Amino acid sequence: MSFDSSAPADAGPRERPRLRKFAYRGDPLAEPPPPELSEIISRHRGERDGLITVLEEIQRRFGYLGERQLRYVARDLGFPLARIYGVVTFYNWFLLTPPGLHQVKVCRGTACHVNGSALILDRLIAELAIGVDETTPDGRLTLQTVACVGACSLAAVVVVGSDTYGRMSPEEALRTLAALPGGDGDSG
Amino acid sequence: MTTITVDGRVVGFAPGATVMEAALAGGIDIPRLCHHPELRPSGGCRLCLVEVEGMPKPVPACGLACRDGMVVATVGDRLWAMRREIIDLFVSEHPLACSTCEADGACDLQRYAAAVGVTESTHPTEVHRSLYQDDNPFFVRDHQYCILCGKCVRVCDEVVGVNAIDFAGRGFESHVATPFDGDLIESACVFCGSCVQVCPTAALRPVTRLRRGREAEFARVRTICGYCGVGCGIEYALAEGQIVYAAGYPGAPVNGEFLCAKGRSGWDFVSSPDRLTRPLVRRDLAYRAGLTTDPWEMPDTSPLGSRKADTEAFLPVSWEVALGLVADRLAAVVTEHGPDAVAGLASARCTNEENYLFQKLMRAGIGTNNVDHCARLCHASTVAGLGAAFGSGAMTNPIREIREADCLLITGSNTAESHPVIGYEVVRAVKRGASLVIIDPRRIPLVDHATLWLQPRPGMDVFVFLAMMHVILRGGWEDPAFIAERTEGFEALAAAVREHPPEVAALASGVPAALIEEAARVYALGARAAGGDERPRGRGRSSILYAMGITQRSNGTDLVRALADLAMLCGHLGKPATGVNPLRGQSNVQGACDVGALPNVLPGYQPVADAEKRAAVAAAWGVSHLPESPGLTVVEMMRAATAGRVRAMYVMGENPMISDPNLTHVEEALRSLDLLVVQDIFPSETALLAHVILPAASSLEKDGTFTNTERRVQLLAPVVPAPGQARPDWEIVGRLAEAVAARLGREGGPRWRFGSTADIMAELGQVTPQYRGIGHERLEGESLVWPCPAPGHPGTPILHTTAFTRGRGLFHPVRAALPAEQPDDEYPLILTTGRILVHYHSGTMTRRSESLAWREPRGFAEVNAADAATAGVLDGKPMIIRSRRGEVRTQARVTDRVPPGVVFLSFHWKEGAANLLTSDESLDPVAKIPELKVSAVRIERPARP
Amino acid sequence: MRPATLRVGMSTCGLAAGAGAAHRALTREIALRELPLRLEGTGCLGACHREPLVEVLDGAGAVLYGPITEEAVGPLLDHLSGAGAPVPEDRVVSRRGDRSDYPFLGRQQKLTTQLCGVIDPHSLDAYLAHGGYEALRQARRTPPEQVVEAVKASRLRGRGGAGFPTGAKWEISRAQRRRPKYVVCNADEGDPGAFMDRTLIEGDPHRVIEGMLIGAWATGATGAYVYIRAEYPLAVAALQEAIGQARELGVVGRDVFGTGTPFEIVVKEGAGAFVCGEETALMRSIEGHRGMPTMRPPYPSEHGLWGHPTTINNVETFAAVPSIMLEGPGWFAAMGTERCGGTKAFALAGAIERSGLVEVPMGMTLREMVYEIGGGCRGGRAFKAVQLGGPSGGCVPAGLLDTRIDYEDLRATGAIMGSGGMVVADETNCMVDLARFFLAFTQDESCGKCVPCRVGARKMLDLLTAATQGRAAPGDLRRLESLCRTVEAASLCGLGQTAPNPVRTTLRYFPEEYAAHMEERRCPAGVCPMSGGQEAA
Ligand SMILES: Nc1nc2c(c(=O)[nH]1)N[C@H]1C(S)=C(S)[C@@H](COP(=O)(O)OP(=O)(O)OC[C@H]3O[C@@H](n4cnc5c(=O)[nH]c(N)nc54)[C@H](O)[C@@H]3O)O[C@H]1N2
Ligand SMILES: Nc1nc2c(c(=O)[nH]1)N[C@H]1C(S)=C(S)[C@@H](COP(=O)(O)OP(=O)(O)OC[C@H]3O[C@@H](n4cnc5c(=O)[nH]c(N)nc54)[C@H](O)[C@@H]3O)O[C@H]1N2
Ligand SMILES: Cc1cc2nc3c(=O)[nH]c(=O)nc-3n(C[C@H](O)[C@H](O)[C@H](O)COP(=O)(O)O)c2cc1C
Ligand code: SF4
Ligand code: SF4
Ligand code: SF4
Ligand code: SF4
Ligand code: SF4
Ligand code: FES
Ligand code: FES
Ligand SMILES: [Mo]
Repeated sequence: MSFDSSAPADAGPRERPRLRKFAYRGDPLAEPPPPELSEIISRHRGERDGLITVLEEIQRRFGYLGERQLRYVARDLGFPLARIYGVVTFYNWFLLTPPGLHQVKVCRGTACHVNGSALILDRLIAELAIGVDETTPDGRLTLQTVACVGACSLAAVVVVGSDTYGRMSPEEALRTLAALPGGDGDSG
Repeated sequence: MTTITVDGRVVGFAPGATVMEAALAGGIDIPRLCHHPELRPSGGCRLCLVEVEGMPKPVPACGLACRDGMVVATVGDRLWAMRREIIDLFVSEHPLACSTCEADGACDLQRYAAAVGVTESTHPTEVHRSLYQDDNPFFVRDHQYCILCGKCVRVCDEVVGVNAIDFAGRGFESHVATPFDGDLIESACVFCGSCVQVCPTAALRPVTRLRRGREAEFARVRTICGYCGVGCGIEYALAEGQIVYAAGYPGAPVNGEFLCAKGRSGWDFVSSPDRLTRPLVRRDLAYRAGLTTDPWEMPDTSPLGSRKADTEAFLPVSWEVALGLVADRLAAVVTEHGPDAVAGLASARCTNEENYLFQKLMRAGIGTNNVDHCARLCHASTVAGLGAAFGSGAMTNPIREIREADCLLITGSNTAESHPVIGYEVVRAVKRGASLVIIDPRRIPLVDHATLWLQPRPGMDVFVFLAMMHVILRGGWEDPAFIAERTEGFEALAAAVREHPPEVAALASGVPAALIEEAARVYALGARAAGGDERPRGRGRSSILYAMGITQRSNGTDLVRALADLAMLCGHLGKPATGVNPLRGQSNVQGACDVGALPNVLPGYQPVADAEKRAAVAAAWGVSHLPESPGLTVVEMMRAATAGRVRAMYVMGENPMISDPNLTHVEEALRSLDLLVVQDIFPSETALLAHVILPAASSLEKDGTFTNTERRVQLLAPVVPAPGQARPDWEIVGRLAEAVAARLGREGGPRWRFGSTADIMAELGQVTPQYRGIGHERLEGESLVWPCPAPGHPGTPILHTTAFTRGRGLFHPVRAALPAEQPDDEYPLILTTGRILVHYHSGTMTRRSESLAWREPRGFAEVNAADAATAGVLDGKPMIIRSRRGEVRTQARVTDRVPPGVVFLSFHWKEGAANLLTSDESLDPVAKIPELKVSAVRIERPARP
Repeated sequence: MRPATLRVGMSTCGLAAGAGAAHRALTREIALRELPLRLEGTGCLGACHREPLVEVLDGAGAVLYGPITEEAVGPLLDHLSGAGAPVPEDRVVSRRGDRSDYPFLGRQQKLTTQLCGVIDPHSLDAYLAHGGYEALRQARRTPPEQVVEAVKASRLRGRGGAGFPTGAKWEISRAQRRRPKYVVCNADEGDPGAFMDRTLIEGDPHRVIEGMLIGAWATGATGAYVYIRAEYPLAVAALQEAIGQARELGVVGRDVFGTGTPFEIVVKEGAGAFVCGEETALMRSIEGHRGMPTMRPPYPSEHGLWGHPTTINNVETFAAVPSIMLEGPGWFAAMGTERCGGTKAFALAGAIERSGLVEVPMGMTLREMVYEIGGGCRGGRAFKAVQLGGPSGGCVPAGLLDTRIDYEDLRATGAIMGSGGMVVADETNCMVDLARFFLAFTQDESCGKCVPCRVGARKMLDLLTAATQGRAAPGDLRRLESLCRTVEAASLCGLGQTAPNPVRTTLRYFPEEYAAHMEERRCPAGVCPMSGGQEAA
């Protein structure tokens, strides 16, 4: 993810900006949130410790955290939007864009590293032609890493969706992915 | 004994102080980049690491609590080596191009880099935070310089309370971000610039500062903000006599370093091309006076009609001619119609000295008590109500104590927008665990921080207050000792509130009874918020803050007394962080009242009807007598003018053509005058109706004193020269008074000529008991809170500590009255008027500030989705609001900030002026304040968009 | 055939090895063949290298089979029903109830994990049948001060890594006057290569809850949180189920033990940030913030969640408490060394023959762990080092294998006890690469708050990356050492303070590998790419 909006190369004095007019844009959240979101939000109303839990529930339900959803959370639960964004970008687990049909997580923990997980990752990057945290153009696979899933005795480990695969090699990993259902990118 | 030893020096410490705080207080400087005295320690920069005896590793001084006898070393080879390495790491992701950098000379990183001798990093340099954001006219975010100290994030959270920015990303990728790394203008930012203030580097800079040279070359002048009654200290940086930027400065008594958007960015009006620079005479008068040979007739187009102020109708003249003309005409009116045919409006935007002189002119020079000012539209009910209850109508407790309260009850005050820096105090109190109870019909910004929000229908809050007292007595939460020892009239109150159970109040106000009960409990006991710090033992400290939502009502005086009753009932008075605190509006409205710019009192609230006091003041002024019957109030003046009883008006620094109720009547009244003199800094809408316009110097161009809302008297300093021939008001008033005296043959009377404002203050102190001990010489580098009755007196930050000004506090059994105007079928909605953050009143100044006007360029009204739908009104589209007095067209904003049935319109706009809709009929019987908060209206979608 | 019970290990490691499919096959086959066999799920016995594990218990004894993958189910059932050939020996783990015939299990001393792989973790009755919640009942009959005293006397030290005496921590919390107080169980287990806490919670969740409840009683807490990583879905589910059962039992809920006082345990799932294992960051995270550590003091015991006294302990720490209550502090203390009582669970993994969860008494040597329990390096390769405590820990080389497992003894080697991750490296592993790996991890997981860690770790990583790519410049070694010192001494929290540990210990014990990389641009183990060798000038 790039956070730059412009990238000046040099230090030093700058011109005063020429401003575009500031216009009232209307309330972007004039519509009520979709019922499933409302349901999650209303269950956590008034919980001062609820933010991360709410975000986790929304991501479990919708697969990722969309900007509009986060705006609803901010408005309806009273958490500052900047804080929500700060939280979402702090934790690895949260996604701001929709993932592919299958989330493939290569364990990069120590035991898996010692058992060659770097090779698996490199191989998947090469074969799928995507980087970490990216999704294949057909929307089938999203490649991710995970710090350790606690199945270290079965290193190297690859997690696909909610299934954990142990004793993986680059070839075995590719075979596993090939055997996954769905190929027509129906999840967009 | 509580001391620690720092580098061999013994320094004392207050309970809970950190080593950093103790060292700084003891004059020992510890390197630091993320520490700020007003913010919670972060510990992120690691520069303040010190060695402590008995601790194996260096520890950060900013987070280390002092323990008695602790021995600390802040210098040493190991520490300096470590600091060097830390700076080395900082600059490995920083340009360190100081010679071309706009922070050069004012940068903490630069200072420490020099101190440890780092000129470039020993690591490969990687300036990877490259955001440059200039989407707004307030400040730029130039993140290549950002060192992630987090002070901006913390100040925005802990002080401002809006959380517009936060850290995003993690580790090396962390950066300070707006939501979704979007534009700042799309965030919750209120452009207070507090982040700019605390930023130690060039990462955040005021836009006006770009390309304006080196910090070291700027001159600096400190003065007091001329906008609102908070009275913030501001330091202006100047280059070649022009303001480059404004900033707060540490140690300012009210605001510390913090300001709001108006104080920080709203100073550029001073150099507006619209400024009045020469005295002007209207062409018809000029013709009649033989100043021009062109005849001219005043057209009847309203000054509210045209977009731009049109000064074509006026002829520039010299000061001699202008003042001579005015004096002639005034003398003629006095001679022909008597002194009471003259009326004057003093100014809460002018200094104490100026207002003092103004009312002296009216009383001793002309001989009338017809002097009033905008306090009438503002806190007249406070002066009356608290005067009756306590004997003194002012804030009882200091602003700085608000943060120490356990419970804050805010009602009828949109504190975060109208008194932003007091809003910061409220935020700090909440962050420390205080409970915040808000009673307001609108979802004002502070509701985000509220523990309880009671949302009464406009005008119905009196039921809530009465029911709260009912619940308090029922629950036995009153303070019997306080009631017995300090007050009178309790029985009558107790009897009266017995008839107001919360269930009844709920029906009337729409606030659920349970909420009323909880609010009563929390306020009475001073209960802290759940999850806040430990509950205080016994009763906590509760403080009431209120403003226009209470006072601008046809029963305003009663409402104020109800709040006084509530506080007395629970004994929340006379102690730190408690009290009844009316937030006074204008920069010097408190002072203007103090020095007698009111029709019924002489300086120091000495009633004009009190023969003894009157005689004493007359003697001091050197006149044989002073008028004894109270004069006309603002609205009464306008009525009298229409009726022909008032023939001449002198308006200094007020703009009634925007700010007084029922502008149709106001215009009628002003037009019917024989003489209207307006002394202003801009051709205001009122000035455009005047016969003579006198150009005044603004508060940034003169000296004198302002008294802020907490009664703190502070000295102004001229920052820039006044434009053209504009003069300070005190000079103009003095000259005019002299001329009037001459025309009336009253030379040798009172003193009108003063060499300086300090001279005026000296005289003012003689006739104003509360100011007796205050002279300019004492105010240099200091400020004093009145009452300060004697030269050595330290001032009185807290009122009524042992006895009330009037002796015992007086309970008042308040009646539950309904607003004068009720919605009906024809006008089914309630219009409530008020303010928005970035504009100030009639907008003469803020609408000429580039940045503030950019943020809100035109008027708008807030309307609830339900009402909008009923009327077919669309978000962002034009809407017509109609009342029994008139109609306005403005932009509709559909929002839940107002409940169904309520429309909010701010009165800053001449296009769509709110006061075309308000009523000048429904006045509070005691205070004569109009009911600006409740008018019945209906809304429509315009036929043509 | 004889009726018997079949227990299948169904924890994460088992499932990853195919226990799910095996279990499904067993269910199907038993039904089809109408065998008098009862099928049970259980937690992890620890012998993860032999997963999927199936234990067969009948009147005669217990036989542990593994791996029993889907294909092996048929033959196993054939054998049990007396029809087929005996199961091949390499699929039999142990034939004795005490497993003394399998050194991996036999050399251990199971205390906190005693019921893992033994009982059905989904069954409260199973826990109760093994004396569950008896310790809590006993504790609640004892004045809290005495409970604290007992924990102090047991010499229990925090198993989360730092080894702070648990009794002392509880005493501080107990002494706080501010209400309410909280208890927090740290189940973040962020150390990659560790899975003790997961195993414990998946295998015996009630023990942890019971420990927390005793801690709450002792400290006066009225609310509790378990902070558990979201990467452990099974453990989260087990915990939630167990809390529900505890509520039914009346030890958690609105009215605990009929005293009219409420006690709630809330499960908070971490969202993927290693630093949230650090106690102050963990509390920020529970409060719903970015998990950025704050300065200590004040410590959580005084100023924790929302400013209230909060007792934070590791899963294993809490799990040890019920036994201390039941068996007595003396019994517990006697099990360990003079400075620390009890046992410690380790996650033995990496290039080891027999990996898995191992619980041993304090004081055992590393050599016994690696060789007797772990069976030495896989494939008979030469042992190089064992990394203790993950990214905050350090490695111990072959020459120091006789070091005892004890906080202070391990610290003397430059490594730490850590939370229990124990990853073995053999001759095919490169120690510079390993150091780089850990640094890449900590660098990635740095919260970014303080500059020594945020930037310092990054610069260290850059240096190590250059070394592993053959791009090291003269003076890099000195720079690296100097950064180690600054980052360690100046960082705000434990993450930064310990980030240099893997570098320091590898530098100390394998200087020749660094010299080879940095001076000769060569990776002796042949792991590092060394591509930049030519470009570097
Ligand atoms: N930005 C800015 N700041 C200013 C000014 C300005 O023009 N602009 N003006 C200054 C001046 S002179 C003044 S007097 C102050 C005024 O400061 P405020 O009194 O805070 O300003 P208002 O906008 O009039 O807001 C009054 C509040 O009363 C509420 N209210 C309306 N009706 C009722 C009611 O029936 N009952 C109750 N309890 N509340 C009600 C409104 O919702 C609003 O929150 O601000 C000062 N500060
Ligand atoms: N509908 C509605 N109407 C209201 C209110 C409301 O809430 N609703 N609020 C009322 C309240 S509380 C108030 S205080 C009034 C405010 O009403 P006004 O006092 O009329 O408002 P300002 O715009 O502050 O007017 C001050 C004038 O003084 C000029 N001025 C500024 N500085 C100086 C100076 O140094 N010297 C001179 N000579 N002139 C100067 C300014 O240009 C401006 O024209 O409005 C009232 N009107
Ligand atoms: C970076 C970092 C990560 C940590 N991760 C964990 C963890 O995953 N689990 C844990 O119990 N303690 C962890 N800790 C230690 C905790 O801060 C804390 O000391 C511990 O939970 C206290 O429990 P104990 O006294 O029972 O060990 C970590 C510390 C640091 C500095
Ligand atoms: S921000 Fe400070 S240190 Fe950086 S270039 Fe500017 S003056 Fe120098
Ligand atoms: S912008 Fe300034 S105040 Fe904010 S983190 Fe960066 S350096 Fe600090
Ligand atoms: S200007 Fe004020 S509101 Fe905006 S980001 Fe800075 S501190 Fe926050
Ligand atoms: S709060 Fe008031 S006094 Fe302070 S800067 Fe803002 S307008 Fe000026
Ligand atoms: S040491 Fe690292 S993880 Fe800890 S506070 Fe500093 S930056 Fe964050
Ligand atoms: S290291 Fe990969 S599962 Fe633990
Ligand atoms: S000032 Fe103490 S760490 Fe920054
Ligand atoms: Mo006002």
